[in-house]
Parts: sequence; C-alpha cells; structure tokens
Amino acid sequence: MYVEFLGIPRERAGLAELQVEAGTLGQLLGALAERCPALGELITDDRLHPSIAANLNGDAFVSDPATPLADDDRLLILSADAGG
Amino acid sequence: MPFGYHGRYLLIDASTGESDHIPLSETVLRQYIGGSGLGARILLDENGVGSHFDSRNDSRPHYRIADPLSPAAPLVFAFSPLVGSPLTTSAKFAVVSRSPLTERFNDSLASSGFAISGKRVGCDAIVIVGRAPMLSVLVIDDGNVRLQAADDLRGDTCQVTEEKLRARLGSDYRIASIGPAGERQVRYATISHDGRHAGRGGSGAVLGSKNVKAIAVRGTKRVEWAHPRELTELSRDLSKRSFGPATAKYRELGTATNLLTFNRFGTLPTRNFQSGTFDEAASLSPEQLSEAHARTRASCVACTIGCEHIYSLGDRGVRLEYESLFALGSLCGVGNGDAVLRASRRCDELGLDTISTGGTIAFAMECVERGLLDEPWLTFGSGDAVMQAIEVIGRREGVGQLLAEGSRRAADEIGRGSIAFAPQVKGLEIPGYEPRGLQTMALGFAVGARGADHNRSGAYDVDFSDKVDRRHATLDSVRHAIESEDKAALMDSLILCKFLRRVLEDFHGESASMLRAVTGWDVTPDELCETARRIVAAKRQFNLLAGWTPDEDTLPERFLSTPLPNDPEAALSRERLQELVAEYHRQRGW
Repeated sequence: MYVEFLGIPRERAGLAELQVEAGTLGQLLGALAERCPALGELITDDRLHPSIAANLNGDAFVSDPATPLADDDRLLILSADAGG
Repeated sequence: MPFGYHGRYLLIDASTGESDHIPLSETVLRQYIGGSGLGARILLDENGVGSHFDSRNDSRPHYRIADPLSPAAPLVFAFSPLVGSPLTTSAKFAVVSRSPLTERFNDSLASSGFAISGKRVGCDAIVIVGRAPMLSVLVIDDGNVRLQAADDLRGDTCQVTEEKLRARLGSDYRIASIGPAGERQVRYATISHDGRHAGRGGSGAVLGSKNVKAIAVRGTKRVEWAHPRELTELSRDLSKRSFGPATAKYRELGTATNLLTFNRFGTLPTRNFQSGTFDEAASLSPEQLSEAHARTRASCVACTIGCEHIYSLGDRGVRLEYESLFALGSLCGVGNGDAVLRASRRCDELGLDTISTGGTIAFAMECVERGLLDEPWLTFGSGDAVMQAIEVIGRREGVGQLLAEGSRRAADEIGRGSIAFAPQVKGLEIPGYEPRGLQTMALGFAVGARGADHNRSGAYDVDFSDKVDRRHATLDSVRHAIESEDKAALMDSLILCKFLRRVLEDFHGESASMLRAVTGWDVTPDELCETARRIVAAKRQFNLLAGWTPDEDTLPERFLSTPLPNDPEAALSRERLQELVAEYHRQRGW
C-alpha cells in the first residue's frame, strides 16, 4: 500500500509518498518509524502524536492501531491542525 | 480591583476629543474576562439607551443599535487580563463593533505591541464614538487624549502611516491605523498595526467613518499579578511546550501548507467555490514559493511560536497566510505565486481583508463569466485582473465602488439570481474551507455570530478527525460545533492564540490556572465553560438587537443545491442544514 505525506509529516519524511507493507494502522506506523527516523517524534508506539492525523483513501480519518489496511489502500498522514 | 486589570475603560468622543474613564465592575470583568467577551459586553452597554454618550440619558433597559458607520456607533479596542503577562501569545486585543459588512456583531483580533501599550495607558478597553471634524490621529499618552490633524496622512498606506507617526510622535508610540480603504469606508477594510491586521468585518471602515486615520498609544501604567511566581512558572512551561510538535506546522511551514492538504481532500475553494480542487495548487505551495522567494520567519510580540512566514518580493517581504493564498489564488483561479504575493501585499498596504477581497473578486469573476457583469477584463486565472480589482476597490473607482460593498451587497445590486453564488454568510465572505466537504464547519459558518468565519468556529478540526464523517454531518456534529465555538470564545477573551490549542492538553484546567495566577480569582474549569457560553450568548443578544432573523443562519444556495463537483458524495441539502441549525439552537437553549 502507499502512504502519502502532507504538511509536517512530509517535511520530516522528506518525501511525498512511500510504499509500505502492513496489515494494520499500528503495524504501518511502526514500519514508518523504522524507515523514517525523522518521523520519530510524531509516532509513539503504534499511535500518532495528537498533532498528526491519518486518513484512509481521502475518506475516513482513523486512529485505532487495529484498523485493518488493504494492499490497495492509500493512507494519508497529515498535520491535524487544518486551521489558518 | 482584581489583579491584571485597571478596572475601567477609556471612552473617547472623536467629535470633540473629550474623554472619560468608565468603571468596570469586578463582576463584569469576571463574567466576560476581556477581548471579545469584554468587548461584546461594552458594545451592548454603549449601544444602550442611557449610555454615556446618549443624550437622553435615561436608564430604561432597552437598546438602540447604531448604524455601524454613524458617529453614534461605538468602536471598542478590548485588551485582556493576560496582556502584558509573560504568557506566550498573550499580546493580543480585540476590535469589536457592529460590522458595516454584515450589520451584525463583529470582533476581529490581532497581536502586536499595540495591545501592551494600549493597556498601559491605564484601561482595559478604549472605546471610540463620534466623528472627528477632520481626518485626525487620536493620540493617547498615558490616558491623556488629544486629536491631531492628519490631513497630510490622507491616502497613505498603513505602513507609511505608522512610519510617519512614529517619526513625528516618537518611537515609543504604538500605532493602529487604516489605509486608503478604511478612509473610503470599504466595508471590509482592516485596522493595521506592526504589519498585523484586525482583519475581518470592516473595523477599518468604522474607524474611517470616525475620521480617525490612526490611534497612537503610549503608557506607563502597569497592572500587578496576583501570583507572580506561579505565573512565571506557568509561562515558562507553556513557552517550553509551545516549541514542540503541536505547533511545528505553524513554525516550520506556516499556515500556507494547508493549501496542498485541502487540495488533496478536494476541499480547496477554487474559482468561487465552483470546485474543491485546483490544478495549479502545487505552484502555490510553500515549497514551490520558497524556491523562487527567500523565506524568513517572524513572530508577533511576546510569542514563542513564530508562525509568520515572510517571502521576499522585490525589496520587501510579504507575510503570506493560507487564507490570503487561497482567497487571492485558487478562489480567483490564479496559480501564479508572484501574482498572489503581490496581491496580498497590496491588500496589506491598502488595508483590505484578503478573504473578503478575494471572495468578492471571485464572485465578480463568476458574474462576468455568466454575463451578469460587463467587466471583460475581470476573468478567472488572471493575476493582473486581481491586482487591478484590488486597486479599484481600494479607491472605490469604477466597478470598485460596487465591489467595495462586499459580495452580498454586490449581488443585491447585480440581481438575476447572483446571490445564490455570492460566497458569504450574513455578508461575511467564506474563508478557505469548502462547506460541502467539511460539514461540521458548514454548520459553524451558518450559525456564526459574525458570519462565515474560521476563527470563531474551528469545527474544521473535528472534520479532520475520526469523530465525524466530514461529508455526512449528523446531529452528533452539533455538539462538536458548539464545543468549538465555546472554546474559541474563551480563547478570544483570555486572549490566547489559537495556535496553542493543541498545546493546552487540559484546555479549561490550564486556562483556569492562568487566569487564577493573573487575577487571584478562584476560577474553575466549570466556571470558564459557563463564561464561554455567556460570551457566545452576548454576541447573539447583540445580533438580535441589531435585527437578526433565523433565516440568516444558513449558507448560500450554491452549497445547498449542488454537490461538490469534484466529489459528488460531498452534498449538503437545505433540509439537512436546517436540521443541524435547529438542533444547534435547541442545544444552545435559544
């Protein structure tokens, strides 16, 4: 599956998207923390920092580490503060 | 008198230069705190029959809400107990009045040294009524008021006005001024200070209607803090946390980074809300703008976040926020970063609210596209057209005379159904959040006391979470919208910057601790929840007195009859919105 980064996660990761294999949100975040150490302060165990949000395919926002992910999913990781 | 306050406001009649100090009771201060809340209460009092400048001077409990551009209309600059404290982001003030754009309650907040110096003149608010006989500067020196002729400043930009007045009066004065747009009473003119603006709702036009080009303040009167040691500790802790990940977005990228996020979600208002995606969004991103324009950072006075991102353009920088970027960029179909930077700078110079400016221009562009307005040069995608429109609005020349009135009045004039796509609620142009794709925010827009507004309702935060389905609002969305509105009312009254909102993990508890350290009051989180509701209700009370009717709590027809073209699932029916608004009123007890 693909992970898209927006906002601070993109700034930290230094890239716009990444291909990762994971069965759940928690597994994916763990994999990201390993592959992109710069994302470290944004991921604690298998959860995102409250200032960061995750969205599945542009539809639902997800936070439960047990959220199942499919191979053709796109997970968006973005700054949670949408305001300007 | 409680700590943190002077316990009075300074009432100035610009017609004569006369002034008076009006006492504020501790009860009122505790009930409304400061900023928006205190400003709302003072605005109600000063519009009351029997107010200090009402010649009838009786005490009957009724009101006569003045026309916003009439001499009788009060303009309130409200400070707060936290102003001058070491708490980060606390150097803020609220400008409160009846809006000439909406005819409803308006509070626009800003940060600058004006807040600190204004409070040091020895009051918790400055209230201006009347109309000076000639264009004037209001000089307030430690509580002493005088009017100075300012005809030599006529037509000067906000920045030039500040420079000239500091050179004339002394560098220790802090200046709030209007530009040419305020002088001409453009209905969405701003009040500028230190490069910041009290931006929305046309407070600059109100000051202009009083023939006051600028207010210069200087003072030495400090307040005492109830628990200085505790306050210092709280301030240190808050400052330390303000450097963390909760504010990284603002510090490292600025609000402009929203643009790509909103575009990805299909909620970036484009071509007057005809689409939620913009093909040229990438060219407006901070990353691409930074390639062509060196970017530096700056902070408001007494702020540790440093959210201002300033892009070089010629020999001067331009501060660029998301709202300006969307309004003068995608909303007008302009994908040229240079053009947006130039337009944003010109709005700052003239003293124009960038959101209402962009919204009104985009509306006019669609009118031209539909053959409803004969201004063939005013086309989507043209940065030159945006610049030209800004110039004629600022000078109220040609079609600028019409557009200076805002999109709602322009639609009323143009007719032929154009009100259906005038991008406004209660007359205030909608900020950069597509309501059909962000439906909790849509409710926040519809019921907002000052109209469509992202600062008085931050319900978009809920839409960008797993608490709601952003494209299918339910009655459960209502409580989130209320919580957001209450939280904003409290932050705007304390006053603290909303960019701290994720830093404050226990918002009401921490707010109570801060207020306790400053004032000595035994304030509790529950009391602050009640205070927030009281402040929201005060704004509502003003609107009722100003003629509010239930049919104002809605969105333009476009949003209720047409799904978002790029995302057909994002549809909000009139019936659904009406249910949400009715439930909002029910939960408010109105």
